[in-house]
Amino acid sequence: MLETRNLDKSFGAVHVTRDVSLKLERGERRVILGPNGAGKTTLFNLLVGELTPDSGSVHLAGEDVTALPVSRRARRGLSRSYQKNTLFDGLTVEENLGLAAAVHAGHATQLWSDSLAKPEVREIVREVAEQVNLVPHIHARVSEISYGMRRQLEVGVALATRPLVLLMDEPTSGVGPEMSKGFHDLLNNLPRDLTMLIIEHDMDLAFDVADTITVLNYGEVVFDGLPEAARGSKLLKEIYLGSWEDA
Amino acid sequence: MTHDLGFWTLQTLNALQLSMLLFLLSIGLTVIFGLMHFVNLAHGSLYAMGAYFGASLAAVGGYWLGFFLAPVAVAGVGVLLYSGLIKRMRRSGPMAQVLVTFGLIFALLDLTRIFWGDLALALDAPALLDGRVAFLGVEYPIYRLFVIVLGLAIFGALAFVLGRTQIGAMIRAGVDNDAMAACLGINVERLFFVVFCVGCALAGLAGVVAAPLLSVTPEMGLQILIPTLIVIVIGGLGSLKGAIAGSMIYGFVQTFGAVLAPQLASILIYALLAAVLVIKPVGLFPAKG
Amino acid sequence: MFRHSTLRYITLALLTSLALFQAFTAAYFGLEVLTEILILAMLVVALDLVAGFGGMVSLCHGALMGVGAYAYTTVSVTLGISPLVAMAGAVALTGAAAWIIGAICSRSHGIYFIMATLAFGQMAYSWVFEAPIFGGDDGLGGIPRLDLGFLGIDLNDSRSFALFCLAALGAVYGAAVLILRSGLGRSLSGVMHNEQRMRALGLTVWRVKADVFGLSGMIAGLAGALAAQHIMYISPGLLAWTVSGEALVVVILGGLGTLVGPLVGAAAFVLLKHELSAITTYWHLVVGLVLIGVVMSRANGIFGWIEARWGARLDRRLADATRKSAPEEVLNDA
Repeated sequence: MLETRNLDKSFGAVHVTRDVSLKLERGERRVILGPNGAGKTTLFNLLVGELTPDSGSVHLAGEDVTALPVSRRARRGLSRSYQKNTLFDGLTVEENLGLAAAVHAGHATQLWSDSLAKPEVREIVREVAEQVNLVPHIHARVSEISYGMRRQLEVGVALATRPLVLLMDEPTSGVGPEMSKGFHDLLNNLPRDLTMLIIEHDMDLAFDVADTITVLNYGEVVFDGLPEAARGSKLLKEIYLGSWEDA
Repeated sequence: MTHDLGFWTLQTLNALQLSMLLFLLSIGLTVIFGLMHFVNLAHGSLYAMGAYFGASLAAVGGYWLGFFLAPVAVAGVGVLLYSGLIKRMRRSGPMAQVLVTFGLIFALLDLTRIFWGDLALALDAPALLDGRVAFLGVEYPIYRLFVIVLGLAIFGALAFVLGRTQIGAMIRAGVDNDAMAACLGINVERLFFVVFCVGCALAGLAGVVAAPLLSVTPEMGLQILIPTLIVIVIGGLGSLKGAIAGSMIYGFVQTFGAVLAPQLASILIYALLAAVLVIKPVGLFPAKG
Repeated sequence: MFRHSTLRYITLALLTSLALFQAFTAAYFGLEVLTEILILAMLVVALDLVAGFGGMVSLCHGALMGVGAYAYTTVSVTLGISPLVAMAGAVALTGAAAWIIGAICSRSHGIYFIMATLAFGQMAYSWVFEAPIFGGDDGLGGIPRLDLGFLGIDLNDSRSFALFCLAALGAVYGAAVLILRSGLGRSLSGVMHNEQRMRALGLTVWRVKADVFGLSGMIAGLAGALAAQHIMYISPGLLAWTVSGEALVVVILGGLGTLVGPLVGAAAFVLLKHELSAITTYWHLVVGLVLIGVVMSRANGIFGWIEARWGARLDRRLADATRKSAPEEVLNDA
């Protein structure tokens, strides 16, 4: 579903992504692990097109999308959430989801009707609000809901474009342990055919959700395999200095 | 006519003279922007005040009194503006700044009319610089040559100060990253204040220098504002290199456009600006990335 | 995202009644002032559409209005085509010009956007000033007004013309509300709140910006065509950048991003200008100081200030009343 071939990116003398090749099957849930500065977010930016690679290519559903701009990749089914909330702050939860759903439904540039009032848009908004547990807060403005809910909305906005592949950049970043647990269930309850690539710090979550694990270090893939194998990997322990063992 | 050496010399000198005048104005505006992210639309009004102060002082003690004191007087106006308005508007968005300084244009325009009246004033070039010299096949007014030399001298001095001195290093650090500069122990507030006043003084200098070339009217500040803004946007905000490059581009395109393609001349520079903004939205030599 | 609060409805009703009252009772000079307000109001609604709801602070809307005025005059006077066609042509041409400007400037932000639009405005100004068919500095005169004889209306009568402009403003306001409530308008406010995210969601951001800028340009073009008919004479001064600056001042004075506020601002500005210029020739000084005061007070203009003080309270009181009559249903209701 999503594939990268030999992706390379440097900023000046700093090589942030080296020869990264990944392949995600339809419905696969893969978690990317790696210490700070390993190039995880850069990889995301390369995947969605916010950065262009120096060399290598990105393929979505079998097609090379390396030359496509962000918006066109998104319309082909690649959606992402951000590590820092990137929401429409003055608007309500419903409007946040609606703006995204309207783009998907093709009503975002219509002049003759209100995109947010369209039945198909409202249907998506209702479904996604359920998926991210925000139904009771649908009319609240972003500024009126808690930080944890904003993280849920961050993923919800990405979901509302009805993507084929969902990239999530540390969805639980800054959220307490209990809410993180809720997040696991939320992610596990998403449709099985949705392909997911998740950057995660929280090891528990990683093993809870992941079908497969990729570990990045200094921009390179140092591990690619099943969670069970990752758990036993010596390499991973070295990279994380064993800090996740007790977690 | 266009194959005549004299023609090219004359137009080149005219272009240089216009460029230097614009440089004096744009360097202050661009460094203030680069350092403080502040857009001062009233910069042209300060130029007009320079011309008025110059004309009034010259009436009392001759051209050179005006030449030296008008920039000081305009810097004084700058001090008032800085402490009264600019300091408080520093962290506002560009639109708030554009509007406040737009209001300032209105206010200063009428204030000059109240103090100096609506009639145009004249300021004569000093006797020392009166007359013409023969130069590569043309007779060129000495005063205009003086403007060119003055502009180049100021450019040289600023290049030296910004590139080779400690205060220059501080200013460059401030343009690059003011929070970081503050962490390095630079008194950023005072630096802003000094740069703002020097920028105002240069605008005043441009005004008094331009006065003998044009007539001194309340509207002269409005007329020069757009060319100055074009210069800094083409050149890229915040850099000395951008200011000189933008001034040269404007001066030459405008001067040669007017004689070689008069029908296109007025649109040419705006089209160039639009092209620059499309290809390089932040100008040719911006101070940052 | 645009909403009509109770306060906004009240203000609209109040403004409309005042305008109607003025239109039916005022003498010639009063009608001229009213028409001036109505035309300026159209321009600032167009400007608020892009600046207040799309973050595109344009400094070329005065010039766009000028383009509309010159287009109308050229078609109706120079080419001698019927005023109705000329008006449609002016609106279409200004809209197209604005669309192109919007598309080119869509990558610029903040001060660069302001400067870029300023450059295009000045380009139009210089062109109109230089091109011989536009009469240069002398301008063009003898501009006919629309012929509504078939409806039994004579627009050469000041009162009829003022009422016609009021109707046009009503239509413009309605169109602006429809645009803001359309898919395009919703996406525009998404872009203003978070351009990066809208792009990541798959929106072609530049198209949205260009489309709305084009629509706003059509409104400015209409205002220009009406301004030309109002004064029956046009000169390049109409396109000067200070006109765009003044339009921005009016939007700010009224309340950016409220759509109703700029209407209040237009009335306040024109009345202030006439009152002040009757007393002193230095009315610019007062306007300048008022502007500085308003911006520095950090209130969102006159209407924004009123809204912040009373708007929320009014809505809450109304909401309380409805909740009492219809309990429970609040959450499920959209």
